[in-house]
Amino acid sequence: MSDPVPSTTDGSGQVASARPPARGRSPRLSDRGLAVAFISPAMLLLLAMSVFPLLWALYLSFTDYSATRGGPANFIGFGNYTAILTSAQVHTRALTTVIYVVGAVGLQTVLGFGIAYLISRRTRGRGVLTTLFLVPMMLSPVVVGLFWRFMLDAQFGVVNSMLGSLGLGQVEWLTRQRTALLSLIVVDTWQWTPFIMLIALAGLTAVPKYLYEAASIDRASEWFKFRTITLPLVWPLLLIAVMFRAIEAFRLFDLVYILTNGGPGVSTETLSFHIYKVAFLGFNTGTASAYGILMVLVVIVLTQLYLRYLNKLKEG
Amino acid sequence: MAMLLVATTAAACGDGKDDGEKASAPKAPATIPELTKDPLTLSFIWFDWPPAKALEAFANAEYKKERPNATIKVNTVPNANWHDAMFTQFAARKTDFDIAILDSQHIGEAVTNGNILDLTDFVKENIDVAAYNPYLLAAYGQFPQAETGKRDENASLYGLPLLGDTWTMIYRKDLIGDKPPQTWDQMIAAAEKCQANNPGVSGLAFHQANGSDAAAVTYNTVNGVYGGNLWDSKNRKIDGVINDAAGQEAMDVLVNKMKPLTAKGSGNWFIDEVNAAVAQGKACIAFNWIAASGGLLDPKQSTLGTTREQILDKLGFATLPSQKTNLVPLGGMGMHVSAYSATANQAEALNFMEWFERADVQKKWAAAGGVPSRTDALESPEFLNAGPFNRVYTDSVPRMRDMWNVPEYARLVDIENTNVNAALNGAKKPKDALDDIAKEQQGVLDSSNRKGGGGL
Repeated sequence: MSDPVPSTTDGSGQVASARPPARGRSPRLSDRGLAVAFISPAMLLLLAMSVFPLLWALYLSFTDYSATRGGPANFIGFGNYTAILTSAQVHTRALTTVIYVVGAVGLQTVLGFGIAYLISRRTRGRGVLTTLFLVPMMLSPVVVGLFWRFMLDAQFGVVNSMLGSLGLGQVEWLTRQRTALLSLIVVDTWQWTPFIMLIALAGLTAVPKYLYEAASIDRASEWFKFRTITLPLVWPLLLIAVMFRAIEAFRLFDLVYILTNGGPGVSTETLSFHIYKVAFLGFNTGTASAYGILMVLVVIVLTQLYLRYLNKLKEG
Repeated sequence: MAMLLVATTAAACGDGKDDGEKASAPKAPATIPELTKDPLTLSFIWFDWPPAKALEAFANAEYKKERPNATIKVNTVPNANWHDAMFTQFAARKTDFDIAILDSQHIGEAVTNGNILDLTDFVKENIDVAAYNPYLLAAYGQFPQAETGKRDENASLYGLPLLGDTWTMIYRKDLIGDKPPQTWDQMIAAAEKCQANNPGVSGLAFHQANGSDAAAVTYNTVNGVYGGNLWDSKNRKIDGVINDAAGQEAMDVLVNKMKPLTAKGSGNWFIDEVNAAVAQGKACIAFNWIAASGGLLDPKQSTLGTTREQILDKLGFATLPSQKTNLVPLGGMGMHVSAYSATANQAEALNFMEWFERADVQKKWAAAGGVPSRTDALESPEFLNAGPFNRVYTDSVPRMRDMWNVPEYARLVDIENTNVNAALNGAKKPKDALDDIAKEQQGVLDSSNRKGGGGL
């Protein structure tokens, strides 16, 4: 007759007595059930806050629905998509957005990497400097926009005041076509250069020191070391930072809203700002949904191409 | 996009009573229903400016005497978000306000969407319509829109006046003399001379920003003064009307004669910036809304004097100069009851409106800094003595002209704002800007049957 209490043998050959189930655990709840119970709140939240709105927006994008006018959402096929892709208004905003993204991200990359490179060569005060450089990134874009708006004011702004004390003339930073877009790029650069700097600094810190030591023994110049050791090793990480920044810059809204409100005229209206107007001035919900979906698609396609390039770079 | 989705999802998940039906405003009862005796908060929504604070203080002081259980709360949002804040809630078919303070031009959108109550029967039973200038009553409540200067007795009313307003000309008596310019040409000449004689002081200050209705109101004012029209309302025609010869002349005057007399970088100025320029003594002549001009007399905010009297020695307030016509812009707002407010709150809102429009209350509102709409209050000493610009308002009432209060208003005003702002800041030639306004606005009016791409 076997022992009614099952026993197990551990690896050492000793017999371990069977333990009762953990106290408080329902005998009906399997491990799988427990896993589902733990995951389901997060999954439900994700479904409610992310997946459902996205699918809902996708559905609305094929209709002429207006949130304020109510009434049925009539199916109009690709009408919204065709109208958006052929609209001169959208093309203008797309060009503005591209100029902004290229200008801002390009400037941030050069400055961010430059600052990171300089900081990485310091041995003292590195932590303090890094922390100080990170401060702008921690501020709300609305706050940043508001104080830059005051600083760039043509009449009483501190920037023009400084230019005046240097004997230079007043500049209409926010009310002229070229300077307004330039101002947006400068403000965004001020705020987000630290992000590139931080990632570049992580990459620079990870470069093995023995490579530099070996290069030094071979009497390699600083430029040679930078070109053949530093840049190739940091480049993939830097490209990831550029990708994150480009995605962020592509959907810029807050700075435009606070600093220029899209002006003068519509010359600093980005795609996101235009969507806001379509969605909330005329409450053309169907069009705005299609516009948003198209922006998401553009980001996904460009990101995929970019990631493929990054993978190739890694393989190479 | 998240905001949009919240609004649309809420609309889709709401009671859906408008689905499949042509939206129309629900009717308010002709008589005020029985009021609750429980504590109740009556909420308004407005934009953040001094009259909003004045209204809350006034209503809590005076209305509470009649209804001790009622508390008035005036919720405010930045001016640029005012339309969005109200209509996003309307879209969700649920509002956290009981009384929406709408610009007159928002009425069409709110009525067509069924967002506010039809007050026609209520007004007939409770309001003495003969006590008002007919156009004022019409401008803040009637839909379809009243013809300038008139009221259609048979049209429905959806609101009642809360705060009247128009532009006043603010001029430096110490720089250009006590007598204000009488014509637009004289005004420009006086500003030009003043600017030349006073280095550091610009000849003019006015609204040029591309947000809210800033630049649009400026152009519309000059357009009216030079005999232009914004549209042919009967035929819904804008192209060929706003950009006719009078319209072109107005744009030319605004961009080529007035703009050069403004401060450098003033292309994004609105109410606060114009007031700041006047208070700091940086403008010879300025134009601003009367309801926003009270702060100019505050010595704490001004460099023109250490007392109100000293400031008034330098600042004069006058009605706008005339040229080919004497039209002035209609400002101000009306009170409208949210269709989604609780029944008890709607009843309280109607009671408040009936109370607010009484002759004695309108005079008290005038004394508290408000701009009333009843003729007896407008001509009362309480109002005329409350501020140096109040006489300007009373004299301007017969001269007022409004914009369009059609459902497409928000898009029409945005088109005009951005294009006038572009012309004022050198981003477009004046003629091109005006032609673009005409073409784009006409496109909005004609696009109601378009399949797809609405709003672009």
